[in-house]
Amino acid sequence: MITGFPKKWRVPALGVLTVVIWLGPTRHVMAAETGQQIFQGSCVACHTIGGGRLVGPDLAGVHDRRTQAWLEKFVKSSQSMVKSGDPDAIAVFEKFSKIVMPDSSALSDAQIKAVLGHIKGAGTVGASSESEKPSVSEEPVVAASKEDILLGQLLFQGKTRFENAGPTCISCHNVTNDAVIGGGVLAKELTTVFSKMGGTGVRAILGAAPFPVMETAYKGKPLTEKEIIALVAFLQDADEQHAYHQPRDYGMGLLISGFIGAGILFAFYSVLWLRRRKDSVNQKIYDRQVKST
Amino acid sequence: MDIRSQISMVFHLDKCIGCHTCSIACKNIWTDRKGAEYMWWNNVETKPGTGYPGKWEDQDIYKGGWEKSGNGIKLKGAGKKKGLSNIFHNPHMPVIDDYYEPFTYKYLDLIESPASDDQPTARPVSLITGKPMDIKMGPNWDDDLSGTPDYARNDPNLKNLSPAEQQAMFQLERMAFFYLPRICNHCLNPGCVASCPSGAMYKRGEDGIVLINQEVCRAWRMCITACPYKKAYYNWHSGKSEKCILCYPRIEAGYAPACMHSCVGRIRYLGVILYDADRIHETASAPENELVDRQMDMLLDPFDPEVIESAKKNGIADSTIKAAQSSPIYKFVKKWGMALPLHAEFRTLPMLFYVPPMLPVMASLTEVDNSAQAEKLGDIAKYWPDKWLYDTSTEELWGTIDQARMPIEYMASLFSAGDTEKVKVRLKKLLAVRIYRRWKTVGDISEEKANQVLSDVGLTQELAEEIYYLTSLAKFDDRFVVPAAHREQAIEMIENAGDRKGSTGFGFKEGTAKRGL
Repeated sequence: MITGFPKKWRVPALGVLTVVIWLGPTRHVMAAETGQQIFQGSCVACHTIGGGRLVGPDLAGVHDRRTQAWLEKFVKSSQSMVKSGDPDAIAVFEKFSKIVMPDSSALSDAQIKAVLGHIKGAGTVGASSESEKPSVSEEPVVAASKEDILLGQLLFQGKTRFENAGPTCISCHNVTNDAVIGGGVLAKELTTVFSKMGGTGVRAILGAAPFPVMETAYKGKPLTEKEIIALVAFLQDADEQHAYHQPRDYGMGLLISGFIGAGILFAFYSVLWLRRRKDSVNQKIYDRQVKST
Repeated sequence: MDIRSQISMVFHLDKCIGCHTCSIACKNIWTDRKGAEYMWWNNVETKPGTGYPGKWEDQDIYKGGWEKSGNGIKLKGAGKKKGLSNIFHNPHMPVIDDYYEPFTYKYLDLIESPASDDQPTARPVSLITGKPMDIKMGPNWDDDLSGTPDYARNDPNLKNLSPAEQQAMFQLERMAFFYLPRICNHCLNPGCVASCPSGAMYKRGEDGIVLINQEVCRAWRMCITACPYKKAYYNWHSGKSEKCILCYPRIEAGYAPACMHSCVGRIRYLGVILYDADRIHETASAPENELVDRQMDMLLDPFDPEVIESAKKNGIADSTIKAAQSSPIYKFVKKWGMALPLHAEFRTLPMLFYVPPMLPVMASLTEVDNSAQAEKLGDIAKYWPDKWLYDTSTEELWGTIDQARMPIEYMASLFSAGDTEKVKVRLKKLLAVRIYRRWKTVGDISEEKANQVLSDVGLTQELAEEIYYLTSLAKFDDRFVVPAAHREQAIEMIENAGDRKGSTGFGFKEGTAKRGL
């Protein structure tokens, strides 16, 4: 038997041991998550390092253009910088079609530093590292087939389910298009998203959504390649054609007709159920009985 | 003549002690299941009373049974047109509160509760919601409670009685009641079968048992409205309707149904009766006062050679005809004329017959003009301004029937569509046998008088002995004459019995995996 260990320290020691064991793997994972991994997870949908412009700017050599402090602040919350009137931030925002770069509230300061370190390193090593480069070859815009547009339209409206059971676009987004009746208003209106972001940008967002809500919604339910092509085709078509499309706006009419319809149904059923027995033959007895609660 | 056989029943109400053993036997075998907790395929009611479900006899509420329509009949609350227009919201069905909310008790709390200052109690728990509940009603809530304003005085059978007669019935010293055990009547003209939109209900050809095919039932619940006896029930768990099956698996094996087998008072009789199916429509459409007689006429004498011949032509087995000849039902209903159907006016031609109960005799109350006598009273005399004459004397031989505590009109409303004479005849026969047996065993009545009462009701000493035997001494095989089911022949209609030869018996079973072994 071990007698050296004082009895009164046993419980605190056990607690410390538990905490160490519990924290151990977590710390290990955190340490292991390098700047490269974070970049792959959170940034690659919109940015490249030496791969050219996607939704956002190419970040190769960004450290030459901005200070480290500015970058850290911008990554943390770009919009607060734009609002506070930082001229550089406003310029970038204007330049990239006023597409908001989401705040990286999920990243700690250390992680932001790690990412920036990775960008700095990768940028100076040269834009030759193949693994870093997403395939942003400026492919010539192929005219999407009619089938793709139709499939995209069905997918957007949820008339065809996504293969991996992701939520349909229309529940949050709207597009001005005759085929679409009243999409959601929870997220961005997507009528002109194609001209704003370009095919590659839209494709990149659909492949790995950088926006926290969208990312959560499609977690574990990614869109397939075919679905992405179809949706991009549809969005492109919608963008090109939107001037000719005037989907009918029902406005309040829809709500009012809903109320009227409900009223008619209620009237119909109350006539239908007019002769229905209203209560039990024993109701008078029950009403008189004393209840325990 | 289209002769068919029907397994029919007689309940001898004079012998029923209201112990509910039949109900429990039935419940344990058939309705102790989820969704069936509230069902009592067999129940025993105290009459006068509202019964189970409440006021089931009042067809203004439940719209059960048939009604006259021109020369024919139509269903009161179901049928083709009404059924179709009401198919999604059948408006006349009983609700669960008309039956009662079934409950059990948390019995385990009695033995598993931790020690405390108070005795543990077993709280009632609803069998529908599973939550603790207040018990509001039961299937025999009004048991033995004759005279109560909520139950006895709401009995739908009282509507033919004058207020004075009703009042008289419930005087404390006159109060009487009897028990009415009820199961499915396995009617000859069943409203439930006629109402079923799915065609799930049928009356078995070989013995007339009315059944619901659980595979075909689509829960339209028209049978629940259409059955005037409210003996079809909806199982809320399985989504199918259910009803008494007359324990047909037992019948086919030659046993009496569980309720009859267990009957403590031995009030129940079961046997085959032959009837003429060609006359069903005509009989069910008869004027109300002829309904009972016409129904009795449909039932045929199994000893008549002509009847036997046509029965055989119809494929009725010799064993069935033999069973019909020794059937206690034939004796009670036809030969002795002592039993009556319940509520013949529902026109379903019920095949469960009741021997009406003899009830204690008491003075009758009549409404008289007392004013002349009241005038003679002095100023200080105590004076009740009522008009009742309380008369206890009975001189006549049959006085005990006329002056029974339960008005004969009440019995007639139950058993003979309001015709008091039919009930009276049957009660007189019961009484005649009693008087005859009293001469035999006690001897304080003269033989002359005994013979006189017998001949008054058309009985002889031999018949009286027979009635006495079947009423009081009958053994199991006398009370239940179950015809052979001939399953060995029935199976040959479905499969070739030769295929089975040599493939059953000792050895390995095939396909046991499917049986979950």
